[in-house]
Amino acid sequence: MKSVQDAILDPTIGWTILGLFSLLWIALGWYWGRHAKELDDYVLAGRRVGLALGTATAMATWVTSNTTMAAPQLALQLGIWGMLGYSLGSVGLLMFAPLAKRIRRLMPSGYTSGDFIRLRYGNTAWRVFLGISLFYSLGWLVSMGMAGGILIHALTGIPYHFGMSVILAICVGYTLLGGFRAVIGTDFIQAILILTGVVIIAGLAIDRVGFDTIHGALEQQRPELLNLLMPAALMFLFNNLLFGVGEIFHSNVWWSRAFAFREGVGARAYMLAGLLWAPIPIVAGFIALAVPSLGINVPAADMVGPMVAADILGVGGAVLVLIMVFAALSSSLDSLLAATSILLTEDIYRRHFRPQASSAELRRASAWIIVGLGALTWLLCAPRVTTLAELLYFTGAFVASTIWPIAAGLFWRRANPLAAVAGMVLGSAAGLWSYFAIGFYVAALVGAAVSMTCVLLGAWLAPDRFEWSRLQETHPQGEVP
Amino acid sequence: MTASVGLLSTLVGVALALTVLAPVLLLVLLYRDWKGDRLW
Repeated sequence: MKSVQDAILDPTIGWTILGLFSLLWIALGWYWGRHAKELDDYVLAGRRVGLALGTATAMATWVTSNTTMAAPQLALQLGIWGMLGYSLGSVGLLMFAPLAKRIRRLMPSGYTSGDFIRLRYGNTAWRVFLGISLFYSLGWLVSMGMAGGILIHALTGIPYHFGMSVILAICVGYTLLGGFRAVIGTDFIQAILILTGVVIIAGLAIDRVGFDTIHGALEQQRPELLNLLMPAALMFLFNNLLFGVGEIFHSNVWWSRAFAFREGVGARAYMLAGLLWAPIPIVAGFIALAVPSLGINVPAADMVGPMVAADILGVGGAVLVLIMVFAALSSSLDSLLAATSILLTEDIYRRHFRPQASSAELRRASAWIIVGLGALTWLLCAPRVTTLAELLYFTGAFVASTIWPIAAGLFWRRANPLAAVAGMVLGSAAGLWSYFAIGFYVAALVGAAVSMTCVLLGAWLAPDRFEWSRLQETHPQGEVP
Repeated sequence: MTASVGLLSTLVGVALALTVLAPVLLLVLLYRDWKGDRLW
């Protein structure tokens, strides 16, 4: 067995690639954001995003450390069902399509998912929801900051803290300069880079190692990865489906896009993004199944993706991997920074402290919050306390408990505020218990089941009679709808 | 129950083909939006 402990690329090459792409993203961020003086322009790209950019930004944002780091990790741990389980993350995008259409229609002036929960269920549910949503956003930000540092170190030898700092600083920089327009514009380029990179790596893996060799080595050394009835993997499959649905239904990353897409685009963009995203985890995760045939010693499961790619492709391939993963992480980090900053600006700063704030003041606050979020993420990434999948799945219990309150609240007048609060609190608690008592692969499953029971019971025992017109709100002072 | 080499190759092959088509489709959509002044 050989160990790929040493970086494939010289650090100078690594710094050069990071520098060139950083300059490109910053320049584009400045260019696209130079006219974004108003709040809607800065945080929602003027609410006129078309189908091409809408589809690409939804797809690229959902391609995160999932596909580049954790999909290979899960394939190595859970085999074929690990890849397929990740692929079911696309169900979240597909199911959000009708929600995006309804959100745009019911709340044409909305800004955040928090706006919806506050208007639909009241302040208690809103604050519980904000706690879940902000915890999840921070967890996702930290998992991607860590992924950046780990990957850059694995490929170039650049120390973890330097790589992690660079990727965070660049994403903060261009999101700050260009706002949501910069996020969406760069997402399109990043989507093309990611797709091209994934195709080349998997294509070369098949060409150089071959299905027969990979399958033969798996049968001999890791037969459990080919087992189609692995119980933990089957649980993971359904858990991941619900986790993905919960992440997308509640997170302001996806709601802000529903508000930003022009009329009639949201449903089609999310549907298409889901269909285009589904095969990516299979293609990216597959390369981890080549580990036994390549005889690679994997010291940490979350490094398996870049290690296999670098082993198969050598220096040229490692450059490609670095570019692809830098794009994947940037496309998600920028989206999270932008969406979390508007969530904090609208739901915390404006609604809790400055209800009379003008559009210009909110735009300035949003920019400062992007900087603050970047700094906080850096502080939390610095210790590198857990593996990527562990961090990601810890949040599963929380987000899955929001699925029913959100979906029922958008389509069902009977959904009851008290039941929504109970669903989120009890669902999160039950999901957390199962995370520790059973395993990471059931947390979302249990969280969603408990939450569903609460919401359905509440609507049956004490039905609400919600008026949809209550979801309409006026813009901040000085903003033209 | 073990996955055969045929199942593995079909699964990954189909996924790879769809991933190849995705950037082409995105670029076509971008061109259409740009021509129709619906980019953003």
